[in-house]
Amino acid sequence: MINGYLNNSRGIGVRSHQLILPSVVCSTHLAKKVADQVDAITFSHQHGCGIIGPDVAGVNQFFVALASHPNIQSTVVLGLGCETLQGNEVTESITAHHPETEYVVIQESAGMAGALESSVVTARALQENFAPQHTELKTLTIGIEGFPEAAFINEFLLLVENSGYKTVISNASKEPSKNFADLVRNKCHLIISFPDANQPPTGLPLIPVVTIANSQSMLHQALISEFDFSSSLSAPALLQKIVAVANGELTKCEAKKIGDIVVPRMVRSV
Amino acid sequence: MNLPSNDSQLTGFLRKNGRWGFRNYILVLPLHNALNQLADQVRVHHPATAIITSVAHDWSGEVDSDWARISRVFSGFAINPNVGATIFIGIGTPAEEEILRNARAHREMPITYLTLKDAGGFERLEQQVMESVSEVLPLVASVKREPAPWSAMVLGLECGGSDAYSGITANPALGVASDKFVELGATSILAETMEILGAEHLLAARAKTPEVGQAIIDVVARYERSISYEGIDIRGAQPSRGNIEGGLTTLEEKSLGAAKKAGNAPFTGVLDYAHTPTEAGLYFMDTPGHDIEQLTGFAASDVNITVFTTGRGTPTGSAVIPTIKVATNTEMATALPDLIDLNAGTIADGTQTVLEVGAQIFEEIVAVANGKLTAAEMGGHREFNLSRLYGSTL
Repeated sequence: MINGYLNNSRGIGVRSHQLILPSVVCSTHLAKKVADQVDAITFSHQHGCGIIGPDVAGVNQFFVALASHPNIQSTVVLGLGCETLQGNEVTESITAHHPETEYVVIQESAGMAGALESSVVTARALQENFAPQHTELKTLTIGIEGFPEAAFINEFLLLVENSGYKTVISNASKEPSKNFADLVRNKCHLIISFPDANQPPTGLPLIPVVTIANSQSMLHQALISEFDFSSSLSAPALLQKIVAVANGELTKCEAKKIGDIVVPRMVRSV
Repeated sequence: MNLPSNDSQLTGFLRKNGRWGFRNYILVLPLHNALNQLADQVRVHHPATAIITSVAHDWSGEVDSDWARISRVFSGFAINPNVGATIFIGIGTPAEEEILRNARAHREMPITYLTLKDAGGFERLEQQVMESVSEVLPLVASVKREPAPWSAMVLGLECGGSDAYSGITANPALGVASDKFVELGATSILAETMEILGAEHLLAARAKTPEVGQAIIDVVARYERSISYEGIDIRGAQPSRGNIEGGLTTLEEKSLGAAKKAGNAPFTGVLDYAHTPTEAGLYFMDTPGHDIEQLTGFAASDVNITVFTTGRGTPTGSAVIPTIKVATNTEMATALPDLIDLNAGTIADGTQTVLEVGAQIFEEIVAVANGKLTAAEMGGHREFNLSRLYGSTL
């Protein structure tokens, strides 16, 4: 059994993070200060302004997907004011489905000190008003990133299926952080990552990532203690670990806060 | 405006490649996004935190069509003259080694390269980086400020969050200061190709040679092709909504105002993104209009001070370049005081002339070069951006 969190309108998650979402690069620095003060998660990025064509809708949709994820209990969107991707519209897209969302805009907050103060007050009020409650998570959705051995993964998938859990696989890129975007959109509660031989173990702030080393990789072997599992694991042991992580056990990347969110882009900035 | 005396009023840190810095940082530069947090932790926890700077980014080692651009930004950023020593932290890959080689080839300075592969874990690597900072600290501290010539100045000209006042207040006043520096033998760089679109013929007419004039025209044409390659008419996406709310109506209007940052000096040359000027004078650099892509490109090109005019107000800064914010209007300067260093809105208010504010900007640049902290520095702003073209270059 998995004891998850009822994250209000976002459904049942395995974590209950508040997301401080900077809707533009100009507010990422403020977002970090706010997140540190209220024990929320955030990430640095370079997007939200000077974007054109498919990226305007693409970046907006990805931000909405992050804020709508079941591991998120509430969201504070931080905008600057004059950017291409207007924070109020990002906020409206989120609020349409998730009322536990607020918006603070720097250019209307008397400067950085004012914006920091009002963001912290807003974030704390959301945390108090929408306190999550524990509840059973029946259908765990597991994301699988990278290239596991076929025999192993087939056995694992069968086990997962018998447990009534769902899986989503993403391996279009060699870089784990790029594959994670798809798994965020698919609302995976947690991720199992099989990084490429030249990639270190990498996590995500909002989704626990269980990392598995590749026995052929010199890099992975040098870093073996940073992985949750060496490659010689059994499928039942992995499933047992997944259930433990879903119940709150921190993964290695989670404990060390390794890994940022990478926002998918298609075209150059103007 | 009175010409300052020929004696330089500047002080700076002379680097072994002949460049001058106005800050003396130890830069902790992660070469993989999994190491962003580690770099930040070292900056925050080392006792020398006040002179340590670091950045975060989304690169995870991919070598694709943007590799040359990314590699140049990392290596150029690491050797910016405002940096006294750089500690690269990586995974241990050939791509990282190429960045190291390029940095070392262009400046003799303390450069350390520590990898996750060699350290065998994140904690051990963090400990090694902490120790490395302590080791280079005396070397960095041994370089003292000394009187610097005017040619030490490599000024970056930037605007962001422009409004209808930009082209009549802050930008022409910055132009006055830029002209003065160029006249004194310094270097000044105008950038943001989108923001000269429609004004390129005026700038080309100021080129020192016909070749430079043609290069200005060509760079704008290349930019328009690179955007329309994506099937997008740039004039439909710009001015941005914030610009329009600020009273700008067309991209050409925005450009005519933006170009005023470069005053009236002749153009010495045109630079590709993140390329370094080789002689003094006024340059145009081909950068995106995106504030941080431009600022990061400047940092990788040996720019040591940036003046950033803003109509709507923006807090951002660079991890290595002091960035002076000049407000275009008094209303915003009053409403957002901790973002702004100088108010050029007084020109529109009728209480100061363009020349007077230009002289004030000149003096502020000198003061900041000599150690005065900017609003962005006091706010700890270190925004960084890897500019990518995603194959849309021509």
